[in-house]
Amino acid sequence: MEHIMKRRDFVRGAAAGALAFTVGGAQVLLTAREARAEGVPFRLLKADEAETIEALGETLLPGARAAGVAHFLDQQLSVPPGEALLQARILNVRPPYVNFYRAAVGAVDKASLVYNGRRFAQLDTGTQREFVDLMRQGKLEGWVGPPGPFIYFVMRSDAVDVVYGTMEGYESLGIPYMAHIPPHKRW
Amino acid sequence: MARLEKVDVVVVGAGASGSVYAAVLAKAKKKVVVLEQGPDWQLSDLISSDLWGRRIKTAGAPFLLEGRNPVGYSYQSGWGVGGAALHYFANFPRMLETDFKVKSEFGRGLDWPIAYKDLAPYYDKVASDVGVSGDAKAEEIWRPAGKPYPMPPMKTFRNGEVWLKGFAAQNIRIVPAAVGMNSTDYKGRPACIYDGWCHIGCPTGALSNPLVTYLGEARKAGAEVRPWSTATRVLTTAAGNRVTGVEYYDRDGKKQFQPASVVVLAAWAAQNPRILLNSANGKHPKGLANRSGLIGKYIMTHYASGTWGLFDENVENHMGTTGAQYMSYDRYPKTSHQGAFGSTFIVAGTALKTNDLGGFANARLDLFGAELHAFMKRAARGLTRITAFGEEMPNVENRVELATDKDEFGMPLGRIVHSYGEDVPRIWNANFAEGTKIAQAAGAMETWPARGAIPTIHLMGGTIMGTGAGNSVVNSLGQTHELGNLWIAGPGIFPTSGASNPTYTIFALSLRGAERLAARWKTVAA
Repeated sequence: MEHIMKRRDFVRGAAAGALAFTVGGAQVLLTAREARAEGVPFRLLKADEAETIEALGETLLPGARAAGVAHFLDQQLSVPPGEALLQARILNVRPPYVNFYRAAVGAVDKASLVYNGRRFAQLDTGTQREFVDLMRQGKLEGWVGPPGPFIYFVMRSDAVDVVYGTMEGYESLGIPYMAHIPPHKRW
Repeated sequence: MARLEKVDVVVVGAGASGSVYAAVLAKAKKKVVVLEQGPDWQLSDLISSDLWGRRIKTAGAPFLLEGRNPVGYSYQSGWGVGGAALHYFANFPRMLETDFKVKSEFGRGLDWPIAYKDLAPYYDKVASDVGVSGDAKAEEIWRPAGKPYPMPPMKTFRNGEVWLKGFAAQNIRIVPAAVGMNSTDYKGRPACIYDGWCHIGCPTGALSNPLVTYLGEARKAGAEVRPWSTATRVLTTAAGNRVTGVEYYDRDGKKQFQPASVVVLAAWAAQNPRILLNSANGKHPKGLANRSGLIGKYIMTHYASGTWGLFDENVENHMGTTGAQYMSYDRYPKTSHQGAFGSTFIVAGTALKTNDLGGFANARLDLFGAELHAFMKRAARGLTRITAFGEEMPNVENRVELATDKDEFGMPLGRIVHSYGEDVPRIWNANFAEGTKIAQAAGAMETWPARGAIPTIHLMGGTIMGTGAGNSVVNSLGQTHELGNLWIAGPGIFPTSGASNPTYTIFALSLRGAERLAARWKTVAA
């Protein structure tokens, strides 16, 4: 694979901002979008958790799925909290952050089953949108887990991060990025 | 526990206040060690990205956040060398005369044991030391005269200029913002290039973060900075009348003891009380310097009423600095808003990025899906904001205390309990109402308030200064009333908060304290 790097390059790249994924036992530097496109296996997330995250991300901001929101979160949840680039870090979520995401995904799917008889990812897009709209307002009765409005806020931020927090995202809005120290691989 | 070679001073925390103490004392030929719990950041680590900028926010033991208005601790905090001043916006407004005498003038809050005139020379010194751009003469409509700033005001951009008509319509006077940034080359540091990445750490040196100012000077003068060193306790003599040094855990997780003649705690307003409370011993059963029971008390924050305006022109909101282009103290008098007590400080003109807490995706939190995409496109062209910061009165119930849960070093976690009093929502709402009028008069196509929970911005109090051990923890220099060789630095020693950004005052207070400490060294360290 062309992304496989020598140790020196890896250290330099990681310091500059690339995300490290594991492919076939080797550490490679990829954007989250590339990681998703190449089908990089998840480190921590289970398949159904990743599926819910992608569906939520896509509902919150179309394009988040292809931008690799689940791969971004999975990679970030697998590194020490002090190295994490997650919005959860600055929102006073207590590490390890994976606990929050597992609880959030569980709460969403549980409520979805109660209200719609299916997990969130299995709903049609219109129902997903209605569900998220109620969740953000805290209007889903019997909610169990982290508050719905907070989950909305955190995961909406994650979706914005992968779609608009990148150099490509700035380009898509016509905003000059003007980096002093550009994030490697556009991260 | 390993006992290291004794030094003159151990400073806990390599942020704004600790760096000043380290610089002044190292230049006074004292052997200085600075303990910092996070990494040793270099300018080259400051990647231009809101994602990567999160690395310089706290990753230490979490604080438990309680009360009606829990403190937004993590976003405000620092992690590593430079502390929170590595990502501060470098707005440099001063506090005003009235801030120092709130109790005696209004019967509210607390008095400082010093007056504005005591601090004014240090504001001027700091301006010269770190480089401040602004128009000092213009500010004199609100404060006594001082020295001119060493650099002219920063450039302005349409995202700030569009508001001027609105301010004029509301009869609010506005002047160039004083900022700790270079409008011209200064002391070997380059002029700002206005690309709006201040808030994730400025790697060019144009913004006066500690790495390129006091901490750099401290290192040059021989101070040793030890990153990855987590202080847990300050120890005392058996008699309990002097501190002897700091216990900490090093990067390998080994417990160390750094003996010192003087200890300066500069680990921010919440961590200093946590360390002092955790340092309780037989002679100080409630924690060090806590005979008054005031360690951890009077925690204060600021709050902001942000008003968004969407204009029908390209306001180039990616240009400028994260801080402000303009500022006004016209609503600073404590009774500016009817039926509420507290100052308001107004700023306008800030560079915006897309994501993170301050990003414009959060300007309309109710939007998601395709509507959010559409908003982002409109906002990228015409969105800008003004912000009114408000003052919170000190309340002894707002506090830092120890929790029962412990961190990886066995140290109890800290708990911050914080609730706003009844003045705060009144001022917050009044500032929204005025912000809307300003935006409408400025010609915004759309305007809306950045509502939600009342935010908590900055962190002050917890180890307040006063006239004696009966009403405070430290004197006006930061020296604890009970232990002469234990000093506290930073916003924790503020007894009231004012409404202006605190870091300029932190620098000035720290410089005053550090210079006096150096001058009185024989008495203090004996």
